[in-house]
Amino acid sequence: MKPPLHQPTSLAEACELLDTLEETMVYGGGTAIQILIKQGVLFAGNLVDLSRVPGLAEIEETAEGLRVGPMTTLRRMETSEVVRRRVPLAAQTYGHVANPRVRNTASVGGNIAHGDYRLDPPTALLVLGARVELTSVRGTRTVPIRDFFVDFQVTAVEPGELITALHIPAAPAGNSSTFVKMSSLGENDWPAASVAAQVDAERRTLRLGLGALAHVPRYVEVPLDGGGVDAAVAAATAAVEPELDPIPDVRGSADYKRKLGLVATEDAVRRAWEEAR
Amino acid sequence: MKLIQLTVNGRRYDVPVDDDELLLDVLRDKIGAYSVREGCGVGACGACTVLVGGTSVSSCLARAVRYDGAELTTADGLPEDDAVVTAFVESRAMQCGYCIPGFVLMAHELLAENPQPDREQIVAHLEGNICRCGTYQEICRAVEVAAERRARA
Repeated sequence: MKPPLHQPTSLAEACELLDTLEETMVYGGGTAIQILIKQGVLFAGNLVDLSRVPGLAEIEETAEGLRVGPMTTLRRMETSEVVRRRVPLAAQTYGHVANPRVRNTASVGGNIAHGDYRLDPPTALLVLGARVELTSVRGTRTVPIRDFFVDFQVTAVEPGELITALHIPAAPAGNSSTFVKMSSLGENDWPAASVAAQVDAERRTLRLGLGALAHVPRYVEVPLDGGGVDAAVAAATAAVEPELDPIPDVRGSADYKRKLGLVATEDAVRRAWEEAR
Repeated sequence: MKLIQLTVNGRRYDVPVDDDELLLDVLRDKIGAYSVREGCGVGACGACTVLVGGTSVSSCLARAVRYDGAELTTADGLPEDDAVVTAFVESRAMQCGYCIPGFVLMAHELLAENPQPDREQIVAHLEGNICRCGTYQEICRAVEVAAERRARA
C-alpha cells in the first residue's frame, strides 16, 4: 500500500491535512522517508509534503540567535554565513551529516523529527539549548530540544503537529565548542559515537551532547571547579559514563561503543578547551 | 498520474508521473538520460547524481513530482569539450565508468562554488561518491586539472 502524497500550498492547509487524515507523516526533504520506504519499514497512511508551503526555508537572525525554518536544508546550515557566525557549533555539526548531496536535500525539521538516536545535529542542538516550535490546528507550542527526544525513534511531536521552526540561541561570547564523530565502517556511515562539547568563557560548565550512545541523543552538563583540562576530561568522562547505553549493531558491540564514547568525549573536551585558549 | 514539466539539459519535457515515482526512473525510462544510474539506492554512492538548478541531488531519493518546473543537468547534457569531462578523460580517472557521471556533476557543483579547491576540499565534496574500481587518486587529480584549466580559460 503506497501512502498518497498530499501537497498543500499553505501552512493552514498543511495543518488541516495533518488534523483530518489518518496516520499522517510530514514529508520534508524526504531522504530518510524514501530509504525507509525502500526498506519496507515506513508505516504511514498519508504523506504531507511541505515543499510547496511558502516561507518554511528561511533563516532569520534574532536577538538571541537564529530562527530556522523546517525546510532549510542541512547544507545551508553548514554553509550559510549567518549560521557560521552566530552558531558555529551548529554549522560544524550539520556539515558532518551524510554527504554534501544528501545535505542538499535533507531538511532541518525532518532531521530532528526523524528522531534517530545516531543523528549528528541533535548533539549540537542539545548543547546550545535549542527550542522546537510545533504548530497544529490547535495552535503553536515550543518544546526545549532537551525534552524533545522522548524514546527510541519517538519525539515530542504529537499527532497533527508539524515542526515550524527551530530556535537556536547563540552561545555567549567567549564560549568555545566542537563536534567529534567516530564512525567504524566508513566516513559517511552512521557514527558509532559522536559528541558535541562546549566550554564557557569562565570554564565553569561543560555542556555535552551525545549521539549514537544510547537509544536517544543525550545531554550532559558538567560543573567544573577550576582545574585544568585534565580535570575537565576526568569530570566529563565520569559524568558521561553512566549515560552510556549503546545499542550493539554491525558498527560495534555495546562495549566497543561505550569505549568510543569515552574517547570521543575526551577528544571533544580537549579540542573545545584548546579552542578556548 | 500528474503531468509535470522538466527541463533536462535545456530541453523541455512534459511527463506524466505517479506520486511515488523517483526522479531517477523518470530520467532513465521516460526521458532517456541513461548517464543517471542507480547504485546503492540510498543516497550514499552518487551514481544517480543530477544537478537541479546547479545543486546536486540524489535522484534515487527524489520524488519526480516535487521537481515540477525544475531545470536539470545530467552528464549526457555536458558538451564534448567540457573542462571537467576532458580533465577526467586525460587524467584516466575511470575504469568501468559507471560512477563517473556522478563524480563529474559533483565536481561541477564544487567548482561553481569554489573555483580553486584544495585537495582536502575536493575530497570533502566528493566523499559521498563511490568508485568501485578505486580510481580516487586520478579523480581528485582530474578535478584539480579542471580547476587549473578553468582558471586559465
